[in-house]
Amino acid sequence: MRIPCPFCGSRDAHEFSYLGDATPRRPDPAAPGAEAAFFDYVYLRDNPAGAFEEWWYHAAGCRQWLKVARDTRTHAITGAVLARDVAAPAAPTPAGGETAR
Amino acid sequence: MAEMSSPAHPLSHTRPIPAGHHGRPGTAGVVARWREDLAIATLAARHGGEAALAAAMDAAFGLALPAGPKAAGANGVSALGLAPRRWLVLASQRPALAAELAGLGGGAVTEQSDGYAVLDLAGPEVRAVLAKLVAVDLDPAVFSTGDVVASSLAHIGAVLWQTGEEPTYRLLVGTSFAAAFSHTLLAAAAEYGLDLADAGRGPEAGRGTGRG
Ligand SMILES: [Zn+2]
Repeated sequence: MRIPCPFCGSRDAHEFSYLGDATPRRPDPAAPGAEAAFFDYVYLRDNPAGAFEEWWYHAAGCRQWLKVARDTRTHAITGAVLARDVAAPAAPTPAGGETAR
Repeated sequence: MAEMSSPAHPLSHTRPIPAGHHGRPGTAGVVARWREDLAIATLAARHGGEAALAAAMDAAFGLALPAGPKAAGANGVSALGLAPRRWLVLASQRPALAAELAGLGGGAVTEQSDGYAVLDLAGPEVRAVLAKLVAVDLDPAVFSTGDVVASSLAHIGAVLWQTGEEPTYRLLVGTSFAAAFSHTLLAAAAEYGLDLADAGRGPEAGRGTGRG
């Protein structure tokens, strides 16, 4: 299996390590029902047969997290984007300073 | 066989192969040379600071930071794209490279001169030998002068840069992997013959001698 890293190009899957499902979103800890929502977020995963979006880390290359679209039945990969390009926007930059990381 | 590293030594695999001719007798297919005269630093643009860093590098060195896995060079300084907004900067005759880069104020700088072991590789069979070691297509149709790849070679993290058309390459591995990598290189190059011009880093090697 080869993964099309947006920075490095097509690379063998052995250069990457796998995290899993890219769809869960961290719940609001202040919202009502947060405990149940966090249980779902931390522990419960779908196991789809077909199109899937998942996180891969390009450990032996650019060391970036990628969001990869893969068909779990065929391993056909239809795309990959840098996580930094699809992640939630960073907090506003304080006047005259860099964003805290 | 005097030209081979001695397998009799209990730690022979932890030491770099010695300088000289190895493998098939005759004209070497691969000519390698350790470079210990280079200053090396990683440079990362801070969040939102990429344009300012690019302008500072242009002003200081006349160097345009590459956007992808490419090398750009000017005035004896080269920048290799390793990742988005991150570069490996190499320079000769500039021992204070990391301090110079930090002085630009536009990025995060890490001194790496002792972190990497650097090999310059040439010879008529060098592409064939590297093709055994790296799972990236090195055919000139898709990988040519100025192209850079960060990958692993025989499970050793490495940066490979094609520096010339002949072709010639510069290869960087972590210093602690230099000895192991030298044996991997010999295993791959022995069928063509390998000339190593300098014994390079290792327990017996002199440091800071400005060789190269
Ligand atoms: Zn990559």
